[in-house]
Amino acid sequence: MPGVVVSIAVGWATLLLFGGGVLLLRAPDTLHRVLALDVLVAIVIILLTLLSYLRGRSYYIDAALALALLALTSTLVAARYVVRGGPF
Amino acid sequence: MVLDVIAAGLIALGLLLATIGLYGLLRFPDIFHQLHPAGLVTGPAVLLVLLAAVATGSAEIITSAALVLLFVLVTSPLSTHAIAQAARRRPRRPEDGTASGGSEATRP
Repeated sequence: MPGVVVSIAVGWATLLLFGGGVLLLRAPDTLHRVLALDVLVAIVIILLTLLSYLRGRSYYIDAALALALLALTSTLVAARYVVRGGPF
Repeated sequence: MVLDVIAAGLIALGLLLATIGLYGLLRFPDIFHQLHPAGLVTGPAVLLVLLAAVATGSAEIITSAALVLLFVLVTSPLSTHAIAQAARRRPRRPEDGTASGGSEATRP
């Protein structure tokens, strides 16, 4: 894969990360913040995947897998926290 | 060469979907409206960028990307559904009104 394409894509994904930060700052509520963090984690997964394509190493995608696992757990626990007032 | 063009197209399409989803997230007023573009960002955008791993030609990267692809395919609807269910069932404060949730009559 040509490096120029992946470099442009990394720059674009970084701009998307700024957009996600704006979304997180504009969130009026706890659920909006949970949603914004979910979207931010998805953008970071995209960034790590593109970084792995750029460098030719595979362990950035492994980090993305761990991040996706943590994001699922944190989203489920935070949603439960919003409903019941506690994580359990 | 053909694989490179396909991968560049997949990456561009995935980032375009993420941009559209983020624009929708910034424009829509309600959490139930916002869940739709959020599902667009966390689901298909990530999947399209991960599908572009076929052009790298490295077995390690393709295997890891396939693993993450299967995982995201399962967990993205799960998290979106959890947020939607929490938004529907959360206890409503009196000053909230109906500005950030569904109608009161449909709640169980």
